[in-house]
Amino acid sequence: MKSKLITLGLLGAVLWLGVNHALALDNAVVIANSSVAADSLSASALKDIYTGKTKYWDGGQTIVIVMLPDKTDAALQQACGMDSSSFKTFWQRLAFSGRGQEPKKADDAAALVSLVAATKGAIAIAPADVTLTGVKKIEIK
Amino acid sequence: MNHSINKLALSITASILAAVGAQAYEVPLTYFGTNMPPIDFHGFASQGFLYSGDYNYLANDTRNGSFQFSEVGVNLSMNPFPNTRIAVQGFDFDVGNVGQYDPFLDYALVEYTINDEVGIRAGRIRRPGGIYNSIQDIDVARTYVLLPQGIYDARWRDWSAGLDGGELFGSIPLGKAGSLSYETYAGIVNMSDNGGVARYIESTGATLENIDSSPAFGSQLWYNTPLEGLRIGASFAYMANLTYDVTVPVMPGLMVPMESVANAPLQQYSAEYVWKNWTFQAEYYTYDLTGYNYSPAFGNHPQPMENNPQSWYAAVSHRFNKYFEVGTYYTQCRINSTITKQFPSDDYQNDAALSFRFDPTDWWTFKIEGHYIEGTGLLRDSVNNPVRSDDGWFMLALKTTFSF
Repeated sequence: MKSKLITLGLLGAVLWLGVNHALALDNAVVIANSSVAADSLSASALKDIYTGKTKYWDGGQTIVIVMLPDKTDAALQQACGMDSSSFKTFWQRLAFSGRGQEPKKADDAAALVSLVAATKGAIAIAPADVTLTGVKKIEIK
Repeated sequence: MNHSINKLALSITASILAAVGAQAYEVPLTYFGTNMPPIDFHGFASQGFLYSGDYNYLANDTRNGSFQFSEVGVNLSMNPFPNTRIAVQGFDFDVGNVGQYDPFLDYALVEYTINDEVGIRAGRIRRPGGIYNSIQDIDVARTYVLLPQGIYDARWRDWSAGLDGGELFGSIPLGKAGSLSYETYAGIVNMSDNGGVARYIESTGATLENIDSSPAFGSQLWYNTPLEGLRIGASFAYMANLTYDVTVPVMPGLMVPMESVANAPLQQYSAEYVWKNWTFQAEYYTYDLTGYNYSPAFGNHPQPMENNPQSWYAAVSHRFNKYFEVGTYYTQCRINSTITKQFPSDDYQNDAALSFRFDPTDWWTFKIEGHYIEGTGLLRDSVNNPVRSDDGWFMLALKTTFSF
């Protein structure tokens, strides 16, 4: 009985140590279409968006995720725990089972910003050094 | 002839999908001249090859190599109103003598999300169940060509994949303790004349006259632990009044009608841990199908039947980079059925698999997979495998998928 309690305690400690309490994206910023009302998001809210738990902004506008594959992998991993390959597979599972809409993709950073600027409800993780035109920066708290 | 035409059509479709390449399509508003919201358009085409040394498994002639292992799907989705999504997917597949390229509506649903905690999805939906049930035939969405067949039998999608009805879904935050995701559904499961259950019944020597749709309900729960990447799931379902009518041979030249009625509670327990580029998975699955066979040949004494298979697997996969992934699993299935076994090996099937996945482009995937299998419990085809033994046997599976 005592050993079981110790085992449970160790398991609990491992779980708690694994909690990600803070988020600072490596060389990346979160941007959104100007139609998005939010100016900031918590790290957990960002994660909920990137893992499909949150699909709509307040007010019912559809969240459209825009991706820049391979260029922002480290930040994506920080935001949702997946690299771009895992992220792609994750959303294909949702889309092909009727549970979600696949993120859109951009070929380069400039195209990413343009696509976010042109797509209502769009959100993206962009390289920190990209020129932001026609989009808003979302602060991650 | 029809098969040749269908294979040609499938090849053409695959070529078109390959040609259109990596980008999904969003139809602009101006195409319609209205305020209609944009429509997302995605699809895939998969072609597989199966070769096995000793038995014909999954397809009809895998001992000589078989290409009877294909899937094609195309879907549309749009958000016409706030918090509302409509999605439709057409599907076509062939696995041995199941499916046979008869296209059908895979899902067609309206989804309304009240908030993150509660949403409703209605229409034809894909049933949740463990890690893979809702995407069991979507090759691009997994590492392996063949999932553990005791749980995700490629031929039994009409039994397990879809449902006409609805479901509630959502994710409930638990603060620092993680979150709880759920999907709870109810509706009618449509059994197909070309489905795996129908073919299995026919493989026993019976002639299938009718197979009814079955009411079903169930729930999938996922506990997303505070440890990043670790989730633990439980799935429960109940399928009621599984009914089919057959004629069965009782002696040469004499067939008698028989009706079978059964109920089946199902359980599945899952754990998945994604750590960096590693994915660890384990699942256990069982159902207890019990019922009676009614026939004039039995008089007033219906014959009880029970099928209580139990399966589990443990899997690990690693993605080296955007191009390569390797995975392996070991699975065991125990059949536990009242159906008379011709050979001792018909009561089990164990499978050790090693799989390599190569993604040369964003829209093209190629997989090669080897299996070492013991037992014959999941062959489900005694006609094409008249003699079976406990000796181990090998299987090779290849598959390529184009998606956009």
